[in-house]
Amino acid sequence: MIKTLDLRKSFGKLPVLNGITNEFAKGEVSVIIGPSGSGKSTFLRCLNLLEAPTSGTVIFEGVDITKAGHDLDLHRRKMGMVFQLFNLFPHMTVLENVTLAPRKLRGLSVEESKDAAMVLLRRVGLEEKAAAYPSQLSGGQKQRIAIVRALAMQPDVMLFDEPTSALDPEMVGEVLDVMKNLAAEGMTMIVVTHEMRFAREVGTRVLFMDEGLIAEEGPPEKLFGSPENPRTREFLRKVL
Amino acid sequence: MNFSFLTKYWQFYLIGAKNTILLAVLAVAFGTTIGITLALMKLSKRAPLRFVATAYIEFIRGTPLLVQLFIIYYGLQAIGIRFPDSPWISAAIGMNFSDFMSGVITLGINSGAYVGEIFRAGIQAVDKGQMEAARSLGMPHGMAMREIIIPQAIRNILPALGNEFIVVIKESSIVSIIGIADLMYKADTIRGNTFQPFEPLLVAALIYFLMTFPLSKLLAHVERRMRAGD
Repeated sequence: MIKTLDLRKSFGKLPVLNGITNEFAKGEVSVIIGPSGSGKSTFLRCLNLLEAPTSGTVIFEGVDITKAGHDLDLHRRKMGMVFQLFNLFPHMTVLENVTLAPRKLRGLSVEESKDAAMVLLRRVGLEEKAAAYPSQLSGGQKQRIAIVRALAMQPDVMLFDEPTSALDPEMVGEVLDVMKNLAAEGMTMIVVTHEMRFAREVGTRVLFMDEGLIAEEGPPEKLFGSPENPRTREFLRKVL
Repeated sequence: MNFSFLTKYWQFYLIGAKNTILLAVLAVAFGTTIGITLALMKLSKRAPLRFVATAYIEFIRGTPLLVQLFIIYYGLQAIGIRFPDSPWISAAIGMNFSDFMSGVITLGINSGAYVGEIFRAGIQAVDKGQMEAARSLGMPHGMAMREIIIPQAIRNILPALGNEFIVVIKESSIVSIIGIADLMYKADTIRGNTFQPFEPLLVAALIYFLMTFPLSKLLAHVERRMRAGD
């Protein structure tokens, strides 16, 4: 589904990604873990080119989207993204947040987009918040709405950039539950997170990033159970 | 103090105030259009656009309004550029339309530079994550600006924009110099007719104040309500 070839990114002189070649398959839940500053978020943001890579290639559904001359917006519609700080549109109600892009970009009518939004909102248990504004919601509710907003575009893959890092501890669970359900439905997901339990329970593949490279990857039982790389071992010893 | 001239001349003030408001509203509309354009140019990725916008803003803000007015009114005429005259509109507004437009355009050009900076600051104050969220949904840049960024920017800058409107109302008095029959011009006419140097201008000042003061109160109210909504 998404393939990267020798992906590199530097901010000025500071190298952040040092040539990542990897592939994310359909239906996989890939969880990216690693110390802060290891380039996890940058890597994720390079996948839908919110961050322009310095060099290297991102191939999405068979198309090289790093090459100039095609409509990146069309590809982004197929890649939902959820941010650490939610980034809901504060001047719109929950329903408008969710229906804006489907109406404008997928050509749905007001009615169609509303019906689809209500189905999704019901699934995350927030249909009664449809008329609320983001400022009236808790962090956990905001993040669930942000997930619904991305899902409303019917993406083929969902990218999560530390979706629970900005939440109060008691709200982490409700967001992870939504993500778990999504994974159970077969959604292709790439998740950058510090939630090791989520990585272990929901991930089909765990990638450990260190110094701009994927230092080790494998199924969760392997990576958490018998990590090979000393850096992985050191990291896991600290966080577990 | 002798205000008996009012019984004879009160209509002068009415017409003058009407013209001042008309002038200010059109100038602000024109200035806002220029301002949004300048702000978008200044935030553009293209260096030439940024340069032109910056040069415009710096130059306009660094030169006197009166000089700008004379350049537009006398200078452009001298090199053969004249705003089209329309007897029909001239009759409708009770002023020479061509002269009136010189005033509107000068004030608009001038105000545009200030509005441009207000808009730029307002757009930049919108959280970066908003643009990222919009783009991640697949919105083109223009749509993201229109739907997500500019509505939030306008909310941020409404107070500053309202303040600019007040400034334009006051500064518009300068167009009386080129004979546009605004409030200042009419007050000065009364001064000349009555040989009273003081009272007619005092009344004009009071009318200007009556236009700007409620506006600034209204702005403060809107600002308070917006803050309560957040």
